[in-house]
Amino acid sequence: MPTTYGSTHDDMQATLPLAGIRVIDVATVIAAPYCATILGEFGADVLKVEHPIGGDALRRFGTPSQRGDTLTWLSEGRNKRSVTLDLRRPEGMELFKGLIRETDVLCENFRTGTLEKWGLGWEVLREINPRLVMLRVTGYGQTGPYKDRPGFARVAHAVGGIAYLAGMPKGTPVTPGSTTLADYMTGLYGAIGVLIALRHRDLTGEGQYVDAALYESIFRCTEELAPAFAMYGTVRERAGSSHNDFACPHGHFATKDGKWVAISCATDKLFARLARAMGRPELASSSTYGDQRTRLENRHDVNEIVRDWCGSLTREQILERCYATDTPAGPLNDIADIFGDRQFHARRNLVAMDERETGEAIIVPAPVPTLSETPGSIRSLGPKLGEHTEEVLAEVLGLDAARIAELRAKRVI
Amino acid sequence: MRHEREITDESRRGTEGDAPLTASTSTTDQPHGGDHTPLPLAGIRVVDVGNFLAGPHAASILGEFGAEVFKVEHPIAGDPMRRFGTPTAREDATLKWLSEARNRKSVTIDLRQPDGVTLFLELLAKSDVLVENFRPGTMEEWGLSWSRIHEANPRLVMLRVSGYGQTGPYRRRSGFAHIAQAFGGLSYLCGFPGETPVLAGTVPLGDYIASLFGAIGVLVALRHVETTGRGQLIDVGIYESVFRVLEEIAAAYGTSGKIREREGAGSFVACPHGHFRTKDDKWIAIACTTDKMFERLSVAMGQPELSSSGLYGDQRKRLAARETVNAIVTEWVGSLTRDEVLQRCLVEEVPAGKVNSIADIFEDEQFAARENLVRMTAPGVGEVVVPGVVPRLSATPGRITSLGPELGDHTERVLRDLLGKTAADVAALRHRRIV
Repeated sequence: MPTTYGSTHDDMQATLPLAGIRVIDVATVIAAPYCATILGEFGADVLKVEHPIGGDALRRFGTPSQRGDTLTWLSEGRNKRSVTLDLRRPEGMELFKGLIRETDVLCENFRTGTLEKWGLGWEVLREINPRLVMLRVTGYGQTGPYKDRPGFARVAHAVGGIAYLAGMPKGTPVTPGSTTLADYMTGLYGAIGVLIALRHRDLTGEGQYVDAALYESIFRCTEELAPAFAMYGTVRERAGSSHNDFACPHGHFATKDGKWVAISCATDKLFARLARAMGRPELASSSTYGDQRTRLENRHDVNEIVRDWCGSLTREQILERCYATDTPAGPLNDIADIFGDRQFHARRNLVAMDERETGEAIIVPAPVPTLSETPGSIRSLGPKLGEHTEEVLAEVLGLDAARIAELRAKRVI
Repeated sequence: MRHEREITDESRRGTEGDAPLTASTSTTDQPHGGDHTPLPLAGIRVVDVGNFLAGPHAASILGEFGAEVFKVEHPIAGDPMRRFGTPTAREDATLKWLSEARNRKSVTIDLRQPDGVTLFLELLAKSDVLVENFRPGTMEEWGLSWSRIHEANPRLVMLRVSGYGQTGPYRRRSGFAHIAQAFGGLSYLCGFPGETPVLAGTVPLGDYIASLFGAIGVLVALRHVETTGRGQLIDVGIYESVFRVLEEIAAAYGTSGKIREREGAGSFVACPHGHFRTKDDKWIAIACTTDKMFERLSVAMGQPELSSSGLYGDQRKRLAARETVNAIVTEWVGSLTRDEVLQRCLVEEVPAGKVNSIADIFEDEQFAARENLVRMTAPGVGEVVVPGVVPRLSATPGRITSLGPELGDHTERVLRDLLGKTAADVAALRHRRIV
């Protein structure tokens, strides 16, 4: 296993497009914090505001690092500065308001009404800073009859319609690959909303809030599911590894060495290429399976032929033959495959960073997307809880050492 | 030049006084701010020359927030998405096209002809963003390299989406979402352990995710243009977009060699956390991430003793006895209807929700209250229901002004009004099938 892929990037924050933008991330786990992570990669100064005891629960979700904080924290807390603040205490609230005055973006994902209960609702924050852009992420959004329900990504996958579609026909619906998918997707939509709102703010001076719901991010990506139901009453069901309504063969096939390949023949031309790869060009003639409709009518037979062929060769052999005829195919990579892959290596998708305190090498996914002039960067891994409290309170709010010591004694920070 | 003018309130109103061609009506309205409320991206012109969704979804989002989006298509074939998916009364439009080509104006140009390339570059000179997703190298073969495009318009931001990205040994391989999701590591994780990996719900999920990253790249790059005047290239591989959202999978393998496997309907880090079948043969999702949530579930199940420390109060104990715990939950869920299970979970604030089919979604009051289903009228088709705009902005909500356009519905207008061609020029271009 190679140990390094990319390298720690130099401090290039000043030249990045979001330099000068300050973000407060007072959220927890992944959804809203991931928006802040992206903004940080492109140069924003991200202050992670956490409760003095325990901090963000993400520090404890998943596999612990040598330092104690989990690997997900180290990866997704990248580029952030940690500031502890107890928002439930009046002094903590005042400090928070002070930070808001000096901030462009606030990311939060408390249950609806929580910030309002603390006297930190949108109306209050907007009065403090009319230019503020606020991202609010919850399971169901800030409005509607379910707004107060607890919302987690798993539930969002279910409510948003994607879990119902994942799995074998009539079998148990499965997790769509990752239990936090909706969190990431909402972080992405949230970042888009924030960047658009920042543009509006720059043009008009008016801030606003972005109301993002986990289930909506999922539902938005279900292509023609809704229009097809509305027009024809079609209720799409689980379809296993295939998308058999429009294309065949199209699915995941086991190879001789117990691995898997994805093959996807959306058109007749692509099937003709597969037939050549299989050494059976006659399969793509007009009297056999050359036509998509014929293949769909006989999908069981067609899939059987492809399955037999895949089962007779190793994954490597199948892919080599598919690539030779330009058939859309690829391996179902597990993470070990990914670490050994030339494309991941060439694109520097894996970045090795040393945790500063323990020296432990942590390999994390590089920023996406790749910008030619101003590429995003990882300047540090997730900070320790409260690592930057004093630095930030002095720098942003001008507090002196005595005041900071007092706040610490009172456990406000 | 368009991009050299100041962005003023005036210039942010609508797009060149050009009314949308499609007379759309929205009955379950998107949050309309009135037809003249300036949207944040008004004044931004986007040229979307992509096919299907990977990249074009980014253009859709930009369009929802006010950008003017031209869909540049081949004069005869058009975007193949017009023919992919569920057909409608219109030959040039599937439902997928109508929904996902929203807010666009179609302009036909044949990029395989040199004069088509020249025309395209003239259009780019008056645009802010270009979105493309051809196989890497294709545009270069047509004479549309980044350096030539950058020369034609140094302020232009170009989004390139492909299966494997613009660099690396696999860049020329064909990379549909289905393949890229497998390559990026998502498909391997979807399904039951030891069984066939299944799709993560929908085929084009990777196309959407890549587009979201692409839209972020475009918005970041547009800021950079404003401060420096320099455009740039955004290079997105579908596979790496999918890989980026797999939380600790890389770090865990890197530190311990642990290979994440398929989890079925459950989770390796929390229990009970999965999908359970109800008495009325429906499914419910229950997610007890913490001990506190399991305690609430045990109360909801009427078996509060389950969460005692001697039994399953601790996450580690539940994970160790996962089969027993899941069996208890499965039995309880199976003894009640979906509505009953959900009601009891909600009373105790257990994170739970229906595993909705699309039929469930159309009946759901949250979807209705949030106006997630937007009714529009498409000429020649009638009423079409499409997903609303995500995310929701409080002061400048996005809009759907029209569904997927007819092929070439704006070719003439763009050639004459924007590129200054005469009627004779247009006729000649048409005759030569360049447009």
